[in-house]
Amino acid sequence: MRYRRPGLDAISHILLILALLAFSLPVWLAIIAATHDQSSLYTGTAPLWFGDQGLDNFRAILSEPVARLGTDVARLLFNSTVMALGIACGKIFIAILAAYAIVFFRFPLRRLCFWLIFITLMLPVEVRIMPTYKIAADLNLLNSYAGLILPLIASATATFLFRQFYMTVPPELLEAARVDGAGPWRFLRDILLPLSKTNIAALFVIMFLYGWNQYLWPLLITTESDYMTIVVSLKRMLSSADNLVPWQAVMATALLAMLPPVAVIVLMQRYFVKGLVDAEK
Amino acid sequence: MATLSLDALSKTYPNGVTALHGVDLTIDDGELIVVVGPSGCGKSTLLRMLAGLESISSGELAIDGRRVNDLEPAERDIAMVFQNYALYPHMSVADNMGYALKNQGVPRAERRRKVEETARLIGLEDLLDRRPKQLSGGQRQRVAMGRAIVREPKVFLFDEPLSNLDAKLRVQMRIEIRRLQKRLGVTAVYVTHDQVEAMTLADRLVVMNGGHIEQVGTPMHLYDQPASRFVASFIGSPSMNFIEARHADGVLTLPCGTHLPLRDGASTESGDAVCLGVRPEHLVQVGQGDDTTLTTQVELVEPLGADTLAHVRLDGQAELLVARLNGAQQIAEGDRLYLRPDPERLHLFDPQEGHSLAAPETVS
Amino acid sequence: MATFQRHRLTPWLLLSPQLAIVAIFFFWPAAQAVFQAFYVEDPFGLGRTFVAFENFTRLFGSAEYYRALGITITFSISVALGAMALALLLAVLADRVIKGANGYKTLLIWPYAVAPAVAGVLWVFMLDPELGLISAWLGAVGIDWNHQLNGGQAMALVIMASIWKQMSYNFVFFLAGLQAIPRSLLEAAAMDNAGPWRRFWTITFPLLSPTSFFLLVMNSVYAFFETFGTIDATTAGGPGGATRTLVYKVYEDGFIGYDLGSSAAQSVLLMLLVGLLTLLQFRYLESKVQY
Repeated sequence: MRYRRPGLDAISHILLILALLAFSLPVWLAIIAATHDQSSLYTGTAPLWFGDQGLDNFRAILSEPVARLGTDVARLLFNSTVMALGIACGKIFIAILAAYAIVFFRFPLRRLCFWLIFITLMLPVEVRIMPTYKIAADLNLLNSYAGLILPLIASATATFLFRQFYMTVPPELLEAARVDGAGPWRFLRDILLPLSKTNIAALFVIMFLYGWNQYLWPLLITTESDYMTIVVSLKRMLSSADNLVPWQAVMATALLAMLPPVAVIVLMQRYFVKGLVDAEK
Repeated sequence: MATLSLDALSKTYPNGVTALHGVDLTIDDGELIVVVGPSGCGKSTLLRMLAGLESISSGELAIDGRRVNDLEPAERDIAMVFQNYALYPHMSVADNMGYALKNQGVPRAERRRKVEETARLIGLEDLLDRRPKQLSGGQRQRVAMGRAIVREPKVFLFDEPLSNLDAKLRVQMRIEIRRLQKRLGVTAVYVTHDQVEAMTLADRLVVMNGGHIEQVGTPMHLYDQPASRFVASFIGSPSMNFIEARHADGVLTLPCGTHLPLRDGASTESGDAVCLGVRPEHLVQVGQGDDTTLTTQVELVEPLGADTLAHVRLDGQAELLVARLNGAQQIAEGDRLYLRPDPERLHLFDPQEGHSLAAPETVS
Repeated sequence: MATFQRHRLTPWLLLSPQLAIVAIFFFWPAAQAVFQAFYVEDPFGLGRTFVAFENFTRLFGSAEYYRALGITITFSISVALGAMALALLLAVLADRVIKGANGYKTLLIWPYAVAPAVAGVLWVFMLDPELGLISAWLGAVGIDWNHQLNGGQAMALVIMASIWKQMSYNFVFFLAGLQAIPRSLLEAAAMDNAGPWRRFWTITFPLLSPTSFFLLVMNSVYAFFETFGTIDATTAGGPGGATRTLVYKVYEDGFIGYDLGSSAAQSVLLMLLVGLLTLLQFRYLESKVQY
């Protein structure tokens, strides 16, 4: 029960709906722009209602090499997918194992390992970008999927979250499993992983978004368009010194760049919110 | 089917805290031993060392004569029922019960047969496909029991298994555990802090305090002949009353002036201060006071039905005594009450050390 | 905590992938950055000279660096406060209406999924001097918008795009924080005759302070680093360095100017700064987390 004031409720709804509209405006304009051809866009202020070129615009960028990119957007989408999946799965894989070792084992240098791993939470790749680039170059990772993925796995966010979750597992479960004859690998496979399902889903969402939305690292490490990601490609399409920006193509590409992560977050919202809020604890 | 022998078993944690100081105990085949004591007395540590969940700092533990100090829990052929049951939340009842067998490599069909057999034994046959979440507390308790039984272990270990149940269910499960253990004839070690549970279940009781065993014996032996003030106060409900007294030439003099005859064989010298113990049920109400009775005033009355507990103040004393009186007795707060301690049932303890001063054979 | 004690090798086997990745792609480059910060590399990459703290003193003597620092602070504070204030307002509104709170969450959460660079591009289109909708509106009220020429407007553009993306993150946390406040507290306050406004400032807001602190740190980290994409895709640090933040300068000096020593020195300073922020955050976490 709360002391309700119907007037305030109505104002709340109105303000929220206004906020929703304001937040949707940039995307609405992008959708509209993607349905026009270039000449109808450049007749004054950008139009507010659909044009008839939507299908053609998308078909064009997906199947034909885009100006200034040297490749089509389908290829970019594929590259982004490989990178995002690689980062999400890679991080989750190494994090599950490392957090398991740190929480469920006692061994010499455990504290040191803990700090070595968790200090990486402090420094995003942007800070150590030059030397990381050099090392990637030395290891022959420029213009490769491994180069896109591996350096971005080197942060311990997922390990930290798994550790937080493992610490909430009742110790009796491990003891019961030991009495029942389960060793470390069996306990991991039969008990811990099945119990971690929601956490894995939550982390997958967060890490997929993280991977898909990377900018600086892919920008540096991919000089060939064969490995370029869709998020990075937008800037190239915009940088037009000579002629007009092909906004209809840029906006169609931007929409395609948004679609996978937005779909993931909306479909898996329950896990995403849980994962985020757990991260705070 | 096994005997357990504990020889000078000790536990010292890496931080230097010693939880167990050299425990010796032999447990016979098929016996149900209840280890009881206040929290922090080391009883859970002892159980976990038997299970192999805590390492043994020194001493030796043998099951059926074989040293098991360094064996993993699963290699000791024991089963454990945990306080909060520790059921695997994502597995069905049948899978929970069969997990140990699966790890042992028992074929699926045989596993199924054994699980079903055990489920019948403890009345779980209709719940085999449920998840732990879908069960009541009592049912979870049964599953935990079933998980232990299905493996046919040499030893059952129970870690306060009934403490999460409501009072009525606790009594019911207590009886059931006793019945099952006798029927299966498996050696069992049962840890609890509830002395009623301990008394009713045990073949033999082990009372622990501060990492030591205070006394081992049958429940009635411990009730009748407590070896120390600690055991005396821990066993029996309500707790034994203690009164400071002085011994002079075979007579005990209480601060209130009461004189009680000292029984033969007590190891105390004339002139010693002693601690007199008398259980609430051994204080008999009499109509008239004399110099062998305690003159008291009733401060609080707890009617229990058959009995009535009277909390009374001894003249000139700060602490209250408890007397268990017949429930038909009409007493009220403020009443004067004359109580005669049963001279056959007096316990004497050293006032400093707390050990019993009675010669072992004199009190029956 | 119950643990496996007798397995000596297993934990190392479990840790090895993480440790290997962290060693190669984190500690090695971080050490390189520190090392490099004390050298000057000749422009052809043929050799380098040890210069001790010269790279640092050069930075501290450079007006450009202080300018970037100022820009970073302005930008970060604007983004953090803007995103938090907006998110708190909306979260309070959504929490009030109860019915539909989760619906609003679904509808407001998605901008978080949009890449910073993409967010930047969407806003550039709206504010395009020629055909942008909002720049046209602004023109109608007498504001001549051209972020390609006007530094202040360029800054406003990146701030707005960054807030637009980051608001939903804050919203999720504030809403979760608000929903976690026991109703009984608010009811008690209501019975003590506190109106909604008073209830918010005396009960709700103090109870949200751990969430707010956490978000402040997270937003600062976001504004420092993740907005690189927004800035690069929209203004590329321009015009005339008006949106050149510290991180952008590391990138520019390193990859465009090839001044490796200076770039490394800037990296080291950034590391210290982030270290400080993280320390703050850990002190906050420590009250809740056992190590």
